[in-house]
Amino acid sequence: MKISYAHAPVPVRDDVIAAHAVAWERIANPGTWFDGATRVAIAAETRNAPHCALCARRQQALSPFGIDGRHDSLGTLPERMVEQIHRIATDPGRLTRKWYEQVLASGTPETEYVEIVGVVVTVVSLDTFCRALGIPAHPLPAPIPGAPLRRRPATARQRGEAWVPMIHPKDLEGELETPEERKLAKYWGGGLANIRRALSLVPEEAYAWFQLVETQYLPGKAMRDFANEYRAITHAQIELIAGRVSVLNQCFY
Amino acid sequence: MLRESSNAKGEGYDLNLLTGAGGDGNIPHGALLVSFADAVLGTDNRRLDDVRAAIRSRMGDAALVDAAAIVATFNAIDRVADSTGIPIEDARAASTADIRAALGINQFAEARGEIADPRDRTDIARR
Repeated sequence: MKISYAHAPVPVRDDVIAAHAVAWERIANPGTWFDGATRVAIAAETRNAPHCALCARRQQALSPFGIDGRHDSLGTLPERMVEQIHRIATDPGRLTRKWYEQVLASGTPETEYVEIVGVVVTVVSLDTFCRALGIPAHPLPAPIPGAPLRRRPATARQRGEAWVPMIHPKDLEGELETPEERKLAKYWGGGLANIRRALSLVPEEAYAWFQLVETQYLPGKAMRDFANEYRAITHAQIELIAGRVSVLNQCFY
Repeated sequence: MLRESSNAKGEGYDLNLLTGAGGDGNIPHGALLVSFADAVLGTDNRRLDDVRAAIRSRMGDAALVDAAAIVATFNAIDRVADSTGIPIEDARAASTADIRAALGINQFAEARGEIADPRDRTDIARR
């Protein structure tokens, strides 16, 4: 399925269209830990989350952790995955480490957890873009057959920094076992913010996610190049929008 | 980053705009862009239509696309940060401590029983 913005009320930048096409195709393709059908099911469940009565009750509660029940799901994924998808989609500002550990204890490996995050945020991002422009969300792509890679990078470790294990840039300086690590090492090229490392337990998700981010936001070097402007809105206007969205999401990172 | 931009430009942006203060905060169309972010993340479609039309009229179509792309990015990137438990880098925590306290942003972490500033951590991970 090709992404098109021909029906948008305003012309969309070609690089954004291309990045969205790549992101959408990635959802349909086998990933590192899930096949294409499961990834598309994760995408569908992400879109279903706002219609979940349990999630609505939790959002209205002082604490989401005192509200039990079953999610209104599409019925294709196990409840442990639905819990992760729905909570990240509907109430991300109140996630805790204890909740994360409960998700793992319910049977989701940390590798799969990270890949689920990658799919959820891709869908959230493209759907938010469509809503912002006033156009319908893109139909989900048809799954593409194939087996997932099932390759965990040896360099990803739990160092007590984040909930999830991550790759540290220094670990990518030596001989690397996998093509995914080599690709990430070339892209990172030294020290970097934790947000770029967050999904690195699944290097392909980390790489792909930031390809999308840099297209929609700014390429790395442009972010702090305040002497030049790269978009139709200024650095200040960009950061104002970014900051406001993060306040609304109660994100303290 | 907004503060860095403000310092670099020497234009003294009012960062209280982030938390709902009125006015443009010395940023051109600041109030309109805040309204746009609010409307996209909100549920009032008519309000979103109005704000979208205002951006097209006052700032142009390309500005609407770029503003939409930023909302789309950060509505998702916040979820990456929140669901992976990444900490704020020490250097960034130090340089933004005052503004985070002033704007009440640390309360987002405290409400979750977590620590906003990694320099306050007794164990390294956010809990």
